[in-house]
Amino acid sequence: MLDAFLAGAHQVFAFDTLTYMLIGSVAGIIAAAIPGFTVTMAIILTLPLTFAMEPLQGVSVMLSVYVGGYTGGLISAALLGIPGTPSSVATTFDAFPMARKGEPGRALSLGVWASFFGTVISTIVLIVAAPPLALIAVKLGPWEYFALIVFALTIVASLVGNSLIRGLIAGVIGLGIATIGPDPMMGKSRLTFDTDLLMPGLPFLVVLIGIFAISQLLSEVEIHGKKTNQALIPDVIDFKTWKVMREVLMAPVNLFRSSMIGVLIGALPGAGGSIANLLAYDQAKRSSKNPEKFGEGCADGVVASEAGNSATAGGGLIPMIALGIPGSAVDAILMASLMVHGISVGPRLIMDHADLAYGMFIAMIVSSLMMLVVCVASMRLFLRVTDIPKQFIVPTVIICCVIGAFALNNRVTDLYLLGIIGLVGYGLKSLDYPLAPLVLGVILGPIAETNLRRALMSDPDWTTFFTRPISAILLAAALLSVIFSVRSILKMRKKNRPATDEQDGD
Amino acid sequence: MTVKVTEAAAADTGVSAASRARTELARLISYIVFGGVSVVLSSMAAGLPTSRWEPLGAGTFPKLVFALLAVLCLIAAVRSIIEIVRAGGLAGVGAAFTQWLYVRRVAIGLFVLFAVYLGVLPWTGFSLASFVFLLIVQLMIAGVSRRTVIQSIIAALIFSVGLNLLFAEVFNVFLPRGVLFAG
Repeated sequence: MLDAFLAGAHQVFAFDTLTYMLIGSVAGIIAAAIPGFTVTMAIILTLPLTFAMEPLQGVSVMLSVYVGGYTGGLISAALLGIPGTPSSVATTFDAFPMARKGEPGRALSLGVWASFFGTVISTIVLIVAAPPLALIAVKLGPWEYFALIVFALTIVASLVGNSLIRGLIAGVIGLGIATIGPDPMMGKSRLTFDTDLLMPGLPFLVVLIGIFAISQLLSEVEIHGKKTNQALIPDVIDFKTWKVMREVLMAPVNLFRSSMIGVLIGALPGAGGSIANLLAYDQAKRSSKNPEKFGEGCADGVVASEAGNSATAGGGLIPMIALGIPGSAVDAILMASLMVHGISVGPRLIMDHADLAYGMFIAMIVSSLMMLVVCVASMRLFLRVTDIPKQFIVPTVIICCVIGAFALNNRVTDLYLLGIIGLVGYGLKSLDYPLAPLVLGVILGPIAETNLRRALMSDPDWTTFFTRPISAILLAAALLSVIFSVRSILKMRKKNRPATDEQDGD
Repeated sequence: MTVKVTEAAAADTGVSAASRARTELARLISYIVFGGVSVVLSSMAAGLPTSRWEPLGAGTFPKLVFALLAVLCLIAAVRSIIEIVRAGGLAGVGAAFTQWLYVRRVAIGLFVLFAVYLGVLPWTGFSLASFVFLLIVQLMIAGVSRRTVIQSIIAALIFSVGLNLLFAEVFNVFLPRGVLFAG
């Protein structure tokens, strides 16, 4: 274990890796500071740049973008009242009023420190939890794995978006997309209509770029009425860096609770920072002696939201490293980046590539330190990023998406797929379909199929899925997640209908 | 005064119900499309030959997945129809669709340009196609003025020729040169 740890550390602390990580950290912060530019898009754009790197070096750079991105969303949330990413929605509740009251520097420093401590706490939990979980996971058979994927997809569908049925449809569309092309066991061609375009299957990364990035960029140029008045960034900002650090550490319960909420939410497939920040904020408000101060510039609110969303980074890596099930779209991209290098991600990762797994843990800690240093040293510069006009960002990012899709296989046909999938993604987004279940469906589809077929090759009896205890528990949990989701929607609908007759959440 | 407020509230509720019905119609169309496609794909998958070596062949999993998708789409479609009826029908669908297109006019224009860009990319090569695409899109979003033209030309050069050079020289990723310039 020590050897693997040192081997991982050796790779992460190499000069070129640290340089790339520093660039990644800055890029992540800048990207997320731009309203409408999500952490996922930043990671997608980083991906082609990592193809030429060593696997650990590439993943470390992506982790630095990831950690930086979670913090960058804070800038526009605090100063403009616009969440830079969905993960910083709750940050606007208190950071923006605090900035409006003349303390923008304190609001930003609170967020940066909370993000730093949140990431560190989540990484410690990751280091403690992932190896034992992986040891249990290698003992799971194909029945349990298949049930786990069913559970993951139902959880994603019920937690993400406004509608369970659309979440389920999106997840199953993802599974369907994954069945196009050669089958994962025998390589037999399926559903290709004998076209060269579909013959090799739909590459996961092209689907990911099309679904998330292209659809988001098209949405960015929609014109909904007049532009809202954006607040101007004040010329003089006092960050009070060290005073704020003490302030954050003087409220350890809030910090720890919010971070743990982030870890747990992050570890649930599909439920990422966008849920964690709201849940951590809600819990901080409920537990506060002065809940009435929340929403008016309360420090605890900023700390809860930022610690909560940043802690999902470490939490999301737990199921990915231990089980090979990505917790979010970003984790799916990290997983795909390792798969591009021929490394299969699953419970055997820690055993077969221990240096890589421990290197990822170290990279998380280094990334959070870099984010802190970069933010403390140059936050003033990042504030100007929010002024970059859309006309430069949108087409440039589209070009970067094209490069990313092409560089994977050097195939022009992948670019045509990118265009088609981007259009479909935009249509789905316009109709309020959640996109995360679709992407997870695409990556989990071949794993689900392989395990289903292996299970039935070992024992053709379907009832084995219900007689093996872990498999049965997971399938029951999947069913319960759907039932609870339907129940809570019906409850909410009952509550809302007499007042407004307005709802959206079937 | 109270009457006016009640009337306004009733009008708001009416507008919201009509708007909800229109949104549900759009979703209903998507359910029908996905459901129809999944029925076709499910039957195609069912036609794949079974395996001698295992109980499930190559077609079983896609057959199950697309059958499940068809069922989900059917449930969603029934729910949508109920919602549309409950919201009182589909008044003003044509006008709402026009408004939908109007809000998305730049996005639609951007996609059309993107499709053309992808179409000509193999012929003209990355640098030229990207330069023209970037220039047109930037001017489409920002509007045409002397300042925006100069800014757009500089940005387009950096992110077309510059990116091409960066990827070729630093990352050894060679982007399409184009049939016309392949020599």
